[in-house]
Parts: sequence; structure tokens; C-alpha cells
Amino acid sequence: MTITPKAPRKLTMKQRYSALTRDLEWDPSYVSDEEMFPLTSFEGITIHDWSKWEDPFRLTVDAYTKYQAEKDKRLYAVLDGFAQSQGHLSLTDASYLNAMKLFLQGVSPLEYQAHRNFAMLARHLNGPGPRFASLCQSLDEIRHAQTEIHTLSNYNKYYAGFHSYLHMHDRVWYLSVPKSFFDDALSAGPFEFLIAIGFSFEYLLTNLLFVPFMSGASFNGDLPTMTFGFSAQSDESRHMTLGLEAIKFLLEQDEKNVPLVQHWINKWFWRGYRVTALVAQMLDYMLPRKVMSWKEAFELYFEQQMLGGLFQDLAYYGITPPLHVDKAMQEKEYLSHQAYWILYQFSHAAAFTTSVPSDEHMDWLTEQYPDTFPIYRTLWEKEKKNIAAGGRHFIRGLPQLCQVCQIPMGFTEADEPFIQAQRESIFEGERYNFCSDGCQYIFDHEPVKYRQAWLPVHQIYQGNCGAADLPGVLDWYHMKPGDGGEYLGSLDNQNWKKWHDMADETGGN
Amino acid sequence: MQFELRTQVIEPQRKTFQHLIDRYGDRPASRYEEGTIDLQARVNYHYRPLWDPSKEIYSPDYSALKLTDAYSFVDPRQFYYAPYVTARADLHEAFGATLAYLDKRGMFQRLPAAWSSLFQDVVLPLRHYEAANQMIASGAARYGWGTSITQCFAYAAFDRIGNAQILSRAGISFGGGTAESLDLAKRTWLEDEAFQPLRKHVEEMLVEKDWGVAMVASDVTDRLIYGLFYTALDDAALNAGAASYSLVAQHLSQWFTDQRRWFDALYKAWVSDPELGEANKALLGSIVSTTLATALAALQPVAAKADGLVDAGAAASLATAAEQIVAAFAALGVTVETPAS
Repeated sequence: MTITPKAPRKLTMKQRYSALTRDLEWDPSYVSDEEMFPLTSFEGITIHDWSKWEDPFRLTVDAYTKYQAEKDKRLYAVLDGFAQSQGHLSLTDASYLNAMKLFLQGVSPLEYQAHRNFAMLARHLNGPGPRFASLCQSLDEIRHAQTEIHTLSNYNKYYAGFHSYLHMHDRVWYLSVPKSFFDDALSAGPFEFLIAIGFSFEYLLTNLLFVPFMSGASFNGDLPTMTFGFSAQSDESRHMTLGLEAIKFLLEQDEKNVPLVQHWINKWFWRGYRVTALVAQMLDYMLPRKVMSWKEAFELYFEQQMLGGLFQDLAYYGITPPLHVDKAMQEKEYLSHQAYWILYQFSHAAAFTTSVPSDEHMDWLTEQYPDTFPIYRTLWEKEKKNIAAGGRHFIRGLPQLCQVCQIPMGFTEADEPFIQAQRESIFEGERYNFCSDGCQYIFDHEPVKYRQAWLPVHQIYQGNCGAADLPGVLDWYHMKPGDGGEYLGSLDNQNWKKWHDMADETGGN
Repeated sequence: MQFELRTQVIEPQRKTFQHLIDRYGDRPASRYEEGTIDLQARVNYHYRPLWDPSKEIYSPDYSALKLTDAYSFVDPRQFYYAPYVTARADLHEAFGATLAYLDKRGMFQRLPAAWSSLFQDVVLPLRHYEAANQMIASGAARYGWGTSITQCFAYAAFDRIGNAQILSRAGISFGGGTAESLDLAKRTWLEDEAFQPLRKHVEEMLVEKDWGVAMVASDVTDRLIYGLFYTALDDAALNAGAASYSLVAQHLSQWFTDQRRWFDALYKAWVSDPELGEANKALLGSIVSTTLATALAALQPVAAKADGLVDAGAAASLATAAEQIVAAFAALGVTVETPAS
């Protein structure tokens, strides 16, 4: 006997997706909505209808796991091959790895933080659509944290500066810049987190924060990191669509949400932009083979794509470009020079090395920044004389940090390249210092939050960092000889030469 | 004979990251270890959460169940992201193959009528149970302490949506490619009297703020549900000629075996903690006693409903599953009160 099954009336893709995700939802009747979703009312955001959330992508668990498993198989094959063939020797130079040290110390722990907090959204958002999108992103983010660690793990075996990145992320002065940024987002409510990370970090600034590292990798022979970057691309594009859907959803739900969202855009643009100071100096100074200048990146990825594109669309909702964006546009001419100058002088207390740019490098910077770099070139020429006289310049004291972004107060007024910018606010009788109008604006809106900041310099003075003297603090940071200071003559520099000489002798590589 | 490939030998400066050398000694670390141990920050948080200024961003105090050293627990499956998604891709591919077979052979239509009713009215509504467990596990993945633990929760959360989708896809096939069966099952979940004690129990687990309590409650309930529907009834289905029931159930019981591996290791870590073990045992005794009584009472009407449809001894199987839970905790040194049946 044969039974011919009746031809099923198939659900459309959208109906099927809905049946597999949203339809799992029900309204609780044994507990209140407020008990079920206790975190979505205190921020003042009004949502009338969660079902209006448009799923930014339609992925089911079977499709997600299949696709991601295939991507990881390819990525790990590249990592294994690179490690086995001593691929690190074909980098442009060991100094390139300073960019990757900064990435592992400063960025990978943020991916992990994103993983944890998207899990929070996967529990606490009222709508099943955004919960499932957040769940997928939470998984993607642990993927990124782990694949970055695995990608850079091989460099750690041969080069300084990588070995204690987690310990350092929670303690070292320049790493409190990215750490405080993400702690800020994690300590906010779920809607602010969506705007802070989902929108500002993953959409508005992702091409400035993340992509320069990956492009730098591809220009400098770092095949594993480049492969990781490509492998993360399809995840990132999902995250970008989620961020965009999140902001549109909030804006469409109620007009009262518009000023709140505008404030968060103001705040998180500047917060994220300040973190990009580390990226700016990396692009302009740390890459042996340059990709593009910070100025060029900022113009392309921010001015053209965001101001010229995204914000034109958001104007429909009454959203304007972030406050202080004009300052960032002015700063593009000198941000990287000032940031690197700060790091150069403090790199004896960092887990990366710095060096005076070569003449060729300075010529490139002059081409890129004809109006501003000549000023900084005179600083470097002077420093070269110091070095010739045996006095490479390190600052032995401790800098004052901005209360909000936590970068040492070394940025200048836009029109005055030698006048340090300094703003201050008094809150409950205490004076707080800021590097910029943007950081002051952020503090003034939430002084109770920002006065809690764990400022590395204050902490050292308060005796919370192992010792009162520099060697003691560096020890507490778990820094080892060769991690920081001048690149030329450093452990990495010496090993690099030695390994390449060996390769020349044996005819390998 | 081997051919000899000459490669440049460079002695590495170190075998792995320092925190792993400190913990495990100077040996190369696995990718699981590099991607898990110490990933979560434990000190120097910058700001208190706006949603709970009494706590830090991460804190062991989000649950009463604690470990002296969070990383005394490691996932016996050694799952970091890549092996996790690979394992789940296999599971869903296998289920997809099953479903294709069931569709091709019209297997759902061949279910004996009583088993067909059981699938529609008792099993399909459980996809909502799975979805709720995603939320519980996601909450635990955020508020838990230590990556080795929270990582298991994060994957478990995704698993639960995956399980809900397995049931939903089976339900779509069962409904001839439509959502009719799923709609019907949702009404059962929401309105059928037999399901209301279970739904109440699930909603109460969802609002439990202590992630440890919530996860243990979820696990105890899982053991009853998986023991009954995907193990005991699986056997009965085969005996009754309801092969398609068994073919679907095998994927869920296979998943539950995997879930047990890490959860049992976590229980072991909790009770054998050198400092907190005794306190954890007492806590577990109280959490499990309460939950087992509630969950058992909540599931008895569902089992009775099953018994009204098929002759598979559901009520008896449920009681057996409860006894096994009491025995399993006793083996860990945790005293659980035997619930009244």
C-alpha cells in the first residue's frame, strides 16, 4: 500500500519565520508584565506595540548554526596553517603587531562584554523579535571575542605585549578608555544600550573602530586577522541592520522617544569617537604599511556615509547629527598626532612600543595633513635630536585624565595647537576635569554616574595599584621587560632581526 | 617512509597567555581554555548599573549559589563557539533529515489517532516551555559569575530556541505545512486547564531574579518533562506503532543528554566547593525540594491528559522521574524532600 501525502500548503517565508520565532511568545497571566519585564520602563522610553519591530534578518537556528560552523571551519584552517608555517615572519615588521596588541588588550574584551549584555536584551526586551535578534548577536559576540583571541594567540607565543591582556584591560591606564566606554553601556538600561552599542558602536562608528584594524592587517601580511575580519563581516552586517532597526523602532513608537534618543546619540557618538582616538593614532602611526589616514577614514566613513547618508534619513524623525560633531570634524586634522604623541611619551608604561616616525613616514603624514603635520614634525625633529643626544623622551610623572573618556588631558583647542583644552564642572563641591566640550556635556547630564569612574591615575595615587612607584605599578599591571617603551632595540625588534637573519642563512622564508 | 619537510624552527617565547600559565602551569592551553578562562572582568568596574545600583556590573551576588573559584567548573564538552555551532549544525541537520523522511512518507498522517492527539494536545504546546527556558538561560548568561558557567548558559539559551524550532517545524509538518497545529497548540498552552499549573510554574520561574535558583528550577522541570515525554513516551510510542513520535523525540532526548553533561558537572562543582560546598548543598536541597514539588504538581494534570489519550503510563513515569531526581541529588549529598504524589 502506498500513501501519497497531500501536498502541503506552504507557509510563506515570513509566516514560517514568525511561527518559528515570534509566535512562541505569550502574554503572561500569572505574573504581571512589570514583573516579567522589569527593566524596560525606567528609562522613559515608550513602546506601544512591540510587534511593530521589523525583524532585521530572518535566521533560524538550523540555518545559523550551519552557516556559522562552515565559516569557523574555514577560519580555523587558516589559523592552523599560518601557525604551522611560521607565517608571522611574513608580516611587514614586528612593529605592526603594536596595532594587534592594542586590539587584543582593548577591543576583544569589549566583544565579550557585548556578548554578555546582548544576553541581557535576549531576556529583558518585551518583544520576541528583538529578543531573538539580540540572542543571535550575543552568540556572534562571543564568537568574535574567541576567534580574535585564537587568531592572536599565535603571536603571543613569539611577541611581547599580548601575554596578560585580560589582566591589563581591567587595570592599565590607556585601557580604561575602552573599558570605561563599555562599562558605561553595560550599566545603562536596555534601550540606551541598544543605542549605545547596537546603533552608535555597531553602525555609526563601526567602520572607524573595527575596520581599520582589519584593513591594517590585510596591508601588513596578517592573514589570520584579515581572515577573521572577513569572517566577521556577515555577522557585522546583521548587527548593523539590528542597530538601524532599533533606532527606527524607538523613533517610530512614540514622539516622546525622540529627545531621549537624540541625547543618547549625542552622548554615544562622542563617547565612541573618543575611543577612536586610539584607532586614529594606530592608522597614522602604528602600521608599517599604511592603509589610509585617519582624516581620510573619518571623511569617508563618517562625514560621507553617516552625515551625508544616515543622518539625512534620520532627519525625517526629527533627529539631527550628534552634538559636537563639528569638533570631531575639526579634530580630524590633528587627533592622531596628539594621541600618538601622548602614547609615545607614556609607552614605557604601556604594553606596546612606539618610535619616532621615519622620514619617509613623516613625508607621508605631511602629504596627508599638509596644514597640521608640519607643526608636529617640528616636535619629532626635536625629539630626534634628543635621541641623538642619548635622551629618548618619556614622561615620568602621571597625567591628569579626563573624567569621562579617561584619555590623558593632552588634546588642544581646535585653533590653538599649543593650548591644552580643559573644561571643568563642579558637582557637590568637587571639581571634575574634561578634555572637551563633548565629555563635559556627558558628565553634566549624569554626574552621579561619572564621578564613580575608576580613574587609573587617581587609583595609583590612592594606593590601589600595588605600589606608589612606577616599577611597582608596572609590576601590578603584569608588564614584563620588552612589553613597552621604544620599539627600536626592543625585544620584539631584536627577535625579528634574529629570526630573519636565521631565515636568510637557511634560505627559508 | 615519511617525507621530510623542512620548516624553520623558532622557539616560542611562551606557550600561552599568562593567566592560563598561572592556573594550569607552563603548558600549551586548549582553545576552550583560551576562549573561556578569566574572560569576564572581575575587578575595577567603572559604574554601578542604573537598574540596580546596589550591585556591580558583574557580581557573584546575583545568585545565592556560588563557587569560591568560578573556574573550578569547566564545561566537560569543552564547548567554545566553533565546536558548539558545529555540534548544533549536526543536530539540526539530523533533525532536518528526519523531518524530510517524515514528510516524504506521510509519517505524521500514519500516527495512530490517539498518538496524533497526544502530539497535538500535549507535546506541541511544550514549544512555549522551550521558549521560556531560552529567556531563563539568557538571564543567567548575563548575570552569572564566570565565563565557564555563563558560556554554558548562553549556548543553552540558544539551544532552547532551537528546540522550540524543532517542535515548531514538526508542528508545521504535522499540520500539513500550515501553522494550524501550532495555533491550536498555543491555545492549549494558554487556555487548556491541564496546562495552566505548568504555565504558572514557568511564568514564576521566569521572574525569579536569582539566576542560580532559576536555572536549577528549570533543570528540575526539564528532567521531569524530558524524562516523561522524550524518553518514557518515546518507548511507549514505538510499542504502539507511533514511529514518527519516536523519530522526533530522539533528537530532543539526545539534546538533553548533552545538556546533562555540563549541568551535572556544575552541580558537582557546587557541592564539592572546598569552602561553599556545604552551603550550596543546603541551598540546592531547598531549591530542588520546592521546585520538584511545584513542578511535579504542575505536570500531573498534563500527564493525566496524556494518560487519557494513550495507554503509556505517563503518571507513573512522571513519579519515577521524580524519584530519580531525589536519588540523583542524594548521590550528590543533597537532601531533597520526596514530594507527595
